[in-house]
Amino acid sequence: MSVTEQPPAEGSRDTDAAQEALHDRIAADSLTTRRDYLRIVATVSGGLAVGGVAVASGILHRHGDGDGTPEPKKIADRILPGESLAFRYPGDEDRAIAVRMADGTLAGYSAVCTHLACAVLWRKERGSEGELYCPCHEGIFDARTGEVTAGPPPRGLPKVLLIEQLDGSVWAIGTARSGESLQEGLCRQQGDALRLCRGGAGAEGERSERT
Amino acid sequence: MTDSAFPQDPRAPRPADPPPAQPPSYHPGSAEPRLNRPVHERYPQIRPTSGYADPRVRHTGPGPGAGTEQEPERSSKLSARLALALTVLIGQLWALTIVVDEWMSGNTGTAWWGAGFLVLSFLVVLGLWALDPKDR
Repeated sequence: MSVTEQPPAEGSRDTDAAQEALHDRIAADSLTTRRDYLRIVATVSGGLAVGGVAVASGILHRHGDGDGTPEPKKIADRILPGESLAFRYPGDEDRAIAVRMADGTLAGYSAVCTHLACAVLWRKERGSEGELYCPCHEGIFDARTGEVTAGPPPRGLPKVLLIEQLDGSVWAIGTARSGESLQEGLCRQQGDALRLCRGGAGAEGERSERT
Repeated sequence: MTDSAFPQDPRAPRPADPPPAQPPSYHPGSAEPRLNRPVHERYPQIRPTSGYADPRVRHTGPGPGAGTEQEPERSSKLSARLALALTVLIGQLWALTIVVDEWMSGNTGTAWWGAGFLVLSFLVVLGLWALDPKDR
């Protein structure tokens, strides 16, 4: 009802209609009240709580999480110094990158940036000995350790354990999460199957770990 | 300009008024009874708060429908509840980043503690919200 419209002359008998019209006007003019804001805040808070429980339950995919122990996988016949190789290990959705640094060090990492999951690239011309570089938000990871050296990523890259056979072929045999050492990751996945994880610090046969 | 509310033809003959012996006595309002009706009867399209203010205010002074805040603590309490809820919400945003970070690092136990913190924070906000449902 418009404010310029005449209400009925019989005011006392049409109190209900007038009250209804007034209610309409109140409803039309009302802005978002503080109580509405409180309701919105409560709704968002509930969503965050549900999200936290979902994350703790494992809704997010971690590099290397899969069914059972990952099988060794040959990823290349040879990787020359200064070169890198993109591959997927252990699952098809686990993007990884292998890097051979100039001094011959072989390192493998998840190729998914820990910031917002962009692809991590190898840039051998950056830094003193090359860097793992995320172009989305200028995230930089140390090529030797996988730790964050600059930019917004909150944690280091998950690692992929690479070994090099005597013939030069490169194999991926396990993964380690951010902040986890390669040995910890390998023992978590392999259990007591390896002598390395049974309390000893023995080597792995003829394979030479280069990561 | 005539004294009457109804305009008359100025050329029409009118009775000669005798000069008043004394000034008319003062009385509030108009000599025309229809002009002394309440405002809402004379101008029904004008409401007490037309054009501004809260239309729910119907009277001045204390009492039902008055224009002043009868319980100022109520508004303060609502503002405080909202401020507390927003603070808890900021804490939840921080906690969620921690939960994600710990989960991705493999610290599942810590992630569950964080999830518990998030749920407790939600219960606090829910309590702040449900403290007085009829408050506006």
